[in-house]
Amino acid sequence: MGEILRNGENRGNVWLEALGVSKSFGGVRALLDVSFELRRGEVHALMGENGAGKSTLVKILAGLHTPDAGEVRVDGRKVELRSPHEAIRHGIAMIHQELMPVPDLTVAENLLLGREPCGRLPGTVDRGALRREAGRLLELLKVDLPVDAPMRTLSVAAMQTVEIARAVGSDAAAVIMDEPTAALSDREVEALFRTIRALQARGTAFIYITHKMDEVFRIADRITVLRDGVRVGTAPASGLDETRLIALMVGRELIGGRVRGRAVAGESLLSVSGLSRTGAYRDVRLELRRGEILGLAGLMGAGRSEVAAALFGLAPAERGEIRVRGRVARIRHPPDAMGLGIGMVTEDRRADGFVPLMSVRHNITLASLERCCRGPVIRHAAEAEAAALAIARTGIRASDDGQAVVQLSGGNQQKVVFARALMSDPEIVILDEPTRGIDVGAKAEVHALVAGLADQGKAVLLISSELAELLALSDRLLVMRQGEVVAELDPLTVSQEEVLKHAMPI
Amino acid sequence: MPCRSDKHSARVPKLELFAGRLGIVVALLALAAVLAALKPNFLSAANLTNVVRQVSINGILAVGVTAVLLTGGVDLSLGALVALTGVVAAHLAHPGAYPLLVPIAAGILAGAACGAVNGAVVTRCGVPSFIATLGMMTAARGLALVLSDGRPVSNMSPALTRLAGDVAGIPVPALILAAVAAAVAWMLRNLRLGRYLYAVGGNEQAARAAGIRVQGVKFAAYLLCGALAGLAGVVLAARITTGQPNAGVAYELDAIAAVVIGGTRLSGGVGGVGGTLLGVLLMGVIGNGLDLLNVPSYYQQIVKGVIIIGAVWFDRCHQASGKERGV
Amino acid sequence: MKRACVLLLAVLCGCGRSGDQGARDARPVIGVSLLNLSNEFVVTLREAMASHAKELNVRLIVNDAQRSPERQVQQVETFIAQRVNAIVLNPCEVEASSPAVQKALAAGIPIVNVNSETKAVPSAFVGSRDEESARLGMAYIADRLKGRGGVLIMEGYMGQAAQIKRGEGAREVLAKNPGLRLLAAQTAEWDRAKAVTLMENWLQAYGSSIQAVFAQNDEMAMGALLALERAGRKKDVVVVGVDAIADALQAVRDGRLDATVFQDGLGQGRGAIDAALRLIRKEPVEKATFIPFRLVTQENVASFIR
Repeated sequence: MGEILRNGENRGNVWLEALGVSKSFGGVRALLDVSFELRRGEVHALMGENGAGKSTLVKILAGLHTPDAGEVRVDGRKVELRSPHEAIRHGIAMIHQELMPVPDLTVAENLLLGREPCGRLPGTVDRGALRREAGRLLELLKVDLPVDAPMRTLSVAAMQTVEIARAVGSDAAAVIMDEPTAALSDREVEALFRTIRALQARGTAFIYITHKMDEVFRIADRITVLRDGVRVGTAPASGLDETRLIALMVGRELIGGRVRGRAVAGESLLSVSGLSRTGAYRDVRLELRRGEILGLAGLMGAGRSEVAAALFGLAPAERGEIRVRGRVARIRHPPDAMGLGIGMVTEDRRADGFVPLMSVRHNITLASLERCCRGPVIRHAAEAEAAALAIARTGIRASDDGQAVVQLSGGNQQKVVFARALMSDPEIVILDEPTRGIDVGAKAEVHALVAGLADQGKAVLLISSELAELLALSDRLLVMRQGEVVAELDPLTVSQEEVLKHAMPI
Repeated sequence: MPCRSDKHSARVPKLELFAGRLGIVVALLALAAVLAALKPNFLSAANLTNVVRQVSINGILAVGVTAVLLTGGVDLSLGALVALTGVVAAHLAHPGAYPLLVPIAAGILAGAACGAVNGAVVTRCGVPSFIATLGMMTAARGLALVLSDGRPVSNMSPALTRLAGDVAGIPVPALILAAVAAAVAWMLRNLRLGRYLYAVGGNEQAARAAGIRVQGVKFAAYLLCGALAGLAGVVLAARITTGQPNAGVAYELDAIAAVVIGGTRLSGGVGGVGGTLLGVLLMGVIGNGLDLLNVPSYYQQIVKGVIIIGAVWFDRCHQASGKERGV
Repeated sequence: MKRACVLLLAVLCGCGRSGDQGARDARPVIGVSLLNLSNEFVVTLREAMASHAKELNVRLIVNDAQRSPERQVQQVETFIAQRVNAIVLNPCEVEASSPAVQKALAAGIPIVNVNSETKAVPSAFVGSRDEESARLGMAYIADRLKGRGGVLIMEGYMGQAAQIKRGEGAREVLAKNPGLRLLAAQTAEWDRAKAVTLMENWLQAYGSSIQAVFAQNDEMAMGALLALERAGRKKDVVVVGVDAIADALQAVRDGRLDATVFQDGLGQGRGAIDAALRLIRKEPVEKATFIPFRLVTQENVASFIR
């Protein structure tokens, strides 16, 4: 389906558009002759695999990049957006995937950062007016947040709401949201959608980038799909369904559902009992068996990542026992865990997954460099081979393995972290949100990887906030709630709603 | 799409290495051209030899502190260590007292010991490197004054002073710098420790999650830096034939400036010895040129500052527009 | 707990005070603030003052201003608070150290400047005229070169009294000898290492036109000497320094350094303590005592080496 649908008579309603925009980065083409239009008051979803060019397109609209060819028009007039500041002046605001508030300032101060109401003396801030204006903006979004709370104390969802309020406060007519629900719980997603609809009614338009199918059909008016830097189609959301959408994005049809049959579990490789840490989790008991994937479900803050951190030595538990292959283990820091054959893919790849300016090859070999060494000396040929093998196995796409990891798409970055964790050939693998922020195609590849790990006889602990993913992959499923393990469920028979019910606070 | 194989592996072509620091190379060549036009004997073998000789001490310090800066830290005690180790070496270098190796080894060891203290304070006590090395700067300077009773330690054996002389027309300090630079560059590229230095500076938490012993890596960086500062101190003492307790004032600033000009980021994770050597050379050429042109002393500082800022600005502009090259 | 600490501190302070006064009531106390104890000449000053004070049974409190005029003013303020009987000041800077003098005088405490001047006029001055040292050195050069030749001047830290005064003295002699050409005057900041580098660069810039180098202190002269010797050019160039530090005297004796100028640190130090004591006893004192410099060459160097 390659034809471009354009509703001729609504032409006058177009507020923001990109015409024939192209952009390359150092020889790698990100966008080729892409045209995109945003109408007043619509929610226009932008979808596509990672590397399709979505982020690049919206960054051009937000003034972060300048196009190599083509132009941007606001309200019919051509504009040159050379900086985010200029974009904001034209009424285009962007809320990034990685939120960047100032943690030590209050909500009000963050809301009006750069636009503080002036006091009587030049250079001072009228604090009363600041708080009142902040309150007014939050009221508009029907959000109940204390304006004097430091940003750092807010949850991710609340921070996001403040960002949206900020955009609204700067009189944005178009708000670009990049993966806004990646770190939100279902209830928080609902609240976000309410906010979006409320603003839509006031005439604000949204460009909404997401990978989540169910969301897109709930919130979007129109959907544009990009693939490999090219626009493959735009249609009203009502005119598409999931299968056709995925087909557009990937260029082929994907089958969902259960990825593997139930495994026959082997011996116990890691068992945990009575694991506790004040304020994080209490009395956790779990067991990882050879060839089996243990899923760990729960809402944000349930303590799952903290347990994983204890098992890998990033934040040891205060009490409790960990046994690896039957013997009691003291895991005080990652080298201890790795010595016992435990590997981990952490939750936040940007924070502690990879070294951004280091090459793909060096990142992959980072955790097991000894294998490519003779004594303390690195053997570069061996390292190159090992890295090439890992890249092939995990399907990493990079122009060459000397590229800095920070330049790769999210999915490929995640694969690099995977490759690094797997290079030491661990028998026990802990995965924390392994498919967060990556596209459908890459996600399927990662799922295949994970299933493959279990097939190779490894024991896998899979932490995820995506219930479908847990149910598709796990052999057994534990649910954590507020620091405790509250249920063990059968992923082959239980429904998503039931899991959610166990996970939600009573 | 599998990655291209091993053309990019073991050997990074020299051209690429310099291309990464294009801005500095251009500045250096431009400066050299201007100076050669104004003072033809700038390009004479004697003068160029001078320049190389004069940058050697700063160069040794800069190579050492590169390791620390790569981890995201800083070492402000370099100048004081130069004075202290010079005094220590000079005390042991009276004619006929000890074999030549003793004062040299003692100087390096004294530097390494101070570097170890820096490393311990930063890793064990969690004190920011700025503060820790600031403290060492004051303490080491005081120790140098105590050991020398405030006076230069003279009466140096000719054997040691030869360390600052020439061999076949090449200044020995330059040979020492070349050896040190080659060794450290080799280490950064070929030893696990070298790779870990980049990782710790690039993203300390990711390094930790990859099982790297971050504290150990940082400690090694400060130890190496201190040892090289010790070596620099011995060479300086040989050059001025005394151990001077107030030598080396503000040497750390020159060293760090050279490293940063050469492309190593103050935040760590990016950079290397090649860039450092370029930075050292640039600063040496500037100083030499200003003296040759007899620019009044007051203006020399201003000119130096402007050229340094210009070179770095040009280089950063070039980096920002192009693709970031992975390490 | 807090109160206990405060009490303890008070008792300790009181003990210190009363202890001093109890055991040594009679001795006069002189506060001394020195320019920079990592400077060899200043160390000589201190030793001279300390030993002379011991002979005269005077108590000294010695502080090091570490080249900072603010610190010097603070030290003098502390002396005033401690009610010392007199203050001896070795000033860091002509203008910036003047407040120290003014405060002492305002508090009624006699203050003696030693070695360098301040803008504010102290109760007495004991020192040498820095210009004189440069005149002696430069005159020696003029004599050796028979009035013709290229001369380089190495200066100290720009703006310091010694650098200014010695610069004036040197230029006076140059003006009187039109056959002497000033090739360049640059600072090597009193530092031997910087002087080596500067001399190396000068050799490149001026080559065979260099006949003499006058360095405003011996550290720099030694540096210039090293560079010249290494380049094999020493035999063509006359090198003169100022201060007569141990290294320089040795070099003069060995025939390496042509001359240096002896600054009588011993005489200045003793003279300062004498003046301070006379002021304490309200005896008449010379407002300014100038202790002459002396040229040191190979002929008379033996008498200076201790």
